[in-house]
Amino acid sequence: MTYARRAWIIFYKDLLVERRSKEQTNALLFFCLLLLFLFQFALGPDRDRLTAALPGLLWLGFILAGLLGLGRSFLAERENDCWEGLRLTPGDKSAIYLGKLAGNCVLMSAVEVVLVVLFGVFYNVDLWTPAAPLTVVLALGTIGLASVGTLFAAMTTQVRARELLFPVLLLPVQVPVLLATVSATQALLLGQPLGDVAHWLKLLAGADAVYLTIGLLTFEFVLEG
Amino acid sequence: MTRVLGWLAALGLLAGLAAGFGYAPREAVQGNVQRIMYLHVPSVLTAYLAFALVLLGSIAYLATRRPGWDRLAGSAAEIGVLFTGITIVSGSIWGKPTWGTWWTWDARLTSTAVLFCVYVGYLLLRSLIDDPEARGRYAAVVGILGAVNIPIVHFSVKWWRALHQPSTILGPEPAPIDPAIGLALFVNWVAFTLLFAYFLSRRMEIARLEEQT
Amino acid sequence: MPANWGYVIAAYGIAAAALFGYWRRLARRAHAIGARPRAAAKTRAA
Repeated sequence: MTYARRAWIIFYKDLLVERRSKEQTNALLFFCLLLLFLFQFALGPDRDRLTAALPGLLWLGFILAGLLGLGRSFLAERENDCWEGLRLTPGDKSAIYLGKLAGNCVLMSAVEVVLVVLFGVFYNVDLWTPAAPLTVVLALGTIGLASVGTLFAAMTTQVRARELLFPVLLLPVQVPVLLATVSATQALLLGQPLGDVAHWLKLLAGADAVYLTIGLLTFEFVLEG
Repeated sequence: MTRVLGWLAALGLLAGLAAGFGYAPREAVQGNVQRIMYLHVPSVLTAYLAFALVLLGSIAYLATRRPGWDRLAGSAAEIGVLFTGITIVSGSIWGKPTWGTWWTWDARLTSTAVLFCVYVGYLLLRSLIDDPEARGRYAAVVGILGAVNIPIVHFSVKWWRALHQPSTILGPEPAPIDPAIGLALFVNWVAFTLLFAYFLSRRMEIARLEEQT
Repeated sequence: MPANWGYVIAAYGIAAAALFGYWRRLARRAHAIGARPRAAAKTRAA
């Protein structure tokens, strides 16, 4: 069984489980709706203040949803005693990491699309015009979030107080991703072309490459024991 | 060996204090507050040394699985967090009379604060795992990621600050135009490094003994 | 430029307290290990 096939099987299994039960996705999407209210109530009726904070709120929403969604990446395996099964998989364990990562990226992308649409509608912000460059930023940010999130999720699944430890470990590492994505999104929403934020995109791409590499190299150490 | 280090460190610290307060002159622009730099700069340098050792210990542990490397990583992280805390607090106290505020989100302070959070998380992870083998493995992964992330954080914060504020006129690191200031900085840096070595030696020994019981 | 010695003392004081406190912590832990009975090697729970 090839490496790619093993990764695909993990990815497909997660997709299938989720499509049949829909429990996690639905809850997460509903959470996005709640965030909408949360931000509105927190920033009050002043439209300008909300619009000014919009890039930050958007990414805050992704990260909050990510903390919930990503932390549970390996919960199914743990709760159903499949952890041993993962450990005993022959060959390069990083295939599992890739498969899980792919699944998480799909999940996060769904969340992002929903959030962007909700923000556009409820906060009356034009997110359609900059949609194409925004997608680039979203994609890079998602990989940054999910690559580390998947690795840490595997780790914290086996540890006490995992619901607390996962955000505590993930958030400091995500600071560069957050700074880069918010800054880039802000520029894009002001109508600037993608070229203007090239340095942020390069930082994101570089960070993503680093995180992915470390994830691929160290996943097998997390999976032992 | 540890004891020798301890005495050397104590001597070094005394020498550092003498250099910082007795030998070095009162700085022209900032006044006496600048003397906090003899504490702040060596602190942050020591913290970086500590986290470099965490990275080394983490990689070495994953490669060799010898517990000594994990002890190095864990001990260095603990002391690194201590010195990072001192860096942040001293930097903040320096900032109040200089910039008029206890905290500012300037590039260096922010990066140091993020560094602090990363390794506090690292220590938290270590405290939550009892099995030393698992603890070493997981901590190593976090340690490697945390260390590699440091330059990425540095650049992202720097560029982020450039958006909001052109440049701060006064940086925490004074250009050692005055050789006396430079010397005082150097003496204090040596003293702090000795202190770090002393703490590290003791901490690793404690870790070794605790694992035996 | 005011003397601002208060700030200098505060900074050095806090640092000294932190470093001394850590040194005390190390000393106490070392002492605690020494006080434990030197039992024969006990298998640690996996």
